[in-house]
Amino acid sequence: MSTLKDIPVRYEAEETPARSNPLANVFDEFMNFCRSRSLFMLHYCTGCGAIELPPAMTSRFDMERLGIQPMVTPRQADILLVTGYVSVKTLKRVILTYEQMASPKYVVGICSCTVNGGMYWQSYATAKKLNDYLPVDVYIAGCMPRPEAVIEGLRKLQANIAAGTSDNWKDYYQRYDHYLANQQRLFGETWQTPTDVIGEAKRYGVTGPETEGEHTRLLGQHKQPLEPLRMTLNAGKLERME
Amino acid sequence: MSNEISTELVCPDISQWLCHLLREVDGVTHNNRFERRQRLDVESAALPALLTLLQGKGSFVHLSAISCVDWVKENEFELVYHVWSYEMKVMVSAHIRIPREPGRYLSVYDIYKPAGFFERDIFEMYGIYFEGSPWMEKFILTEWDGPPPMRKEFDSEAWVDEHFDWQDYHPDWLKDLEAQGGGIAIRPEEQRFSRKAKDEC
Repeated sequence: MSTLKDIPVRYEAEETPARSNPLANVFDEFMNFCRSRSLFMLHYCTGCGAIELPPAMTSRFDMERLGIQPMVTPRQADILLVTGYVSVKTLKRVILTYEQMASPKYVVGICSCTVNGGMYWQSYATAKKLNDYLPVDVYIAGCMPRPEAVIEGLRKLQANIAAGTSDNWKDYYQRYDHYLANQQRLFGETWQTPTDVIGEAKRYGVTGPETEGEHTRLLGQHKQPLEPLRMTLNAGKLERME
Repeated sequence: MSNEISTELVCPDISQWLCHLLREVDGVTHNNRFERRQRLDVESAALPALLTLLQGKGSFVHLSAISCVDWVKENEFELVYHVWSYEMKVMVSAHIRIPREPGRYLSVYDIYKPAGFFERDIFEMYGIYFEGSPWMEKFILTEWDGPPPMRKEFDSEAWVDEHFDWQDYHPDWLKDLEAQGGGIAIRPEEQRFSRKAKDEC
């Protein structure tokens, strides 16, 4: 298991069977309904907006009655909540986190800072428009928005999910070149993430005309192959424990 | 009563006591603004001797901050060393001026160990090099390769103009809200446009 080639991974896309069930659309709607009422949110606490979330989550406003719960890891989460200003350093981590999440995934930008930079509009250190770098589903404006506003925004997201109109996560695959262009403009040409976004888009059949372009070619030139992490047990420690 | 004991220990006139102490160092102007907030204007060569005196004889054992001011018109940096005495309960700030070019000064790490932290911060934000400081390298802005951003000649807004796009005032995603009477209200003279929006205007 020293190289990635030794790890068995299936690359070819599965054949999706044709939809012959007459109730398929009904099932889809039912799935959307269920999905909108069991949301796990990863709140990436970047700024002051995170302060408004504990009251929104706990007994006073009780977000859980709507079916929204906090989740500690990105891989199990549905919503990425960006609560406040994102500095350039943080933005890299936010993008890494977003790309780890499983689709369908939704981004909610809370506070003015994610909309247009807010009070940090002329700061060299913070990103101005979150939707340049990530596909934002719902913006909740305010400095900071009250828990009522947070819940209002999340209900709007739920309504969009139930109606099946909230598919901005596909936009990230379909217009990856656009998002990557903005990321490269800010982070430099050598910017890369371990996630193979184009590969994922092809695998799940959500490619668009702008998935690949001049900026993804640039990424291909700088992309370094992933190396598997070495797993070791600290045997010395175990011996001492006996 | 603990209050009575402490008043006996504290010198009745702090300013007078400090004046007496400062006779041992040349090049110090004493400025008594408030009783617990003493200001010293120091010649830059005299600062290490002054801090040694304050820390040893003067009981000012706590260096609480080093701050920096960029006086760009006078072509000088001002460094302010804030030291605090737990016994006297007095904050003394020692102000020195150094020329902006080449922007080098001595480290006081050998007198106050926390100075290494503050000097590293100032080195990053203002580009002042402290000779003898242990960590003259990047601190928080590890992924920043521009000029030191707190210097006055660094135009933050121009940098932002170059690297970011401003939010549009009537983006597509706001159309629904605008139809309901919402939206962003900004005075025309304060509006800023990104590259894309400028072309559209």
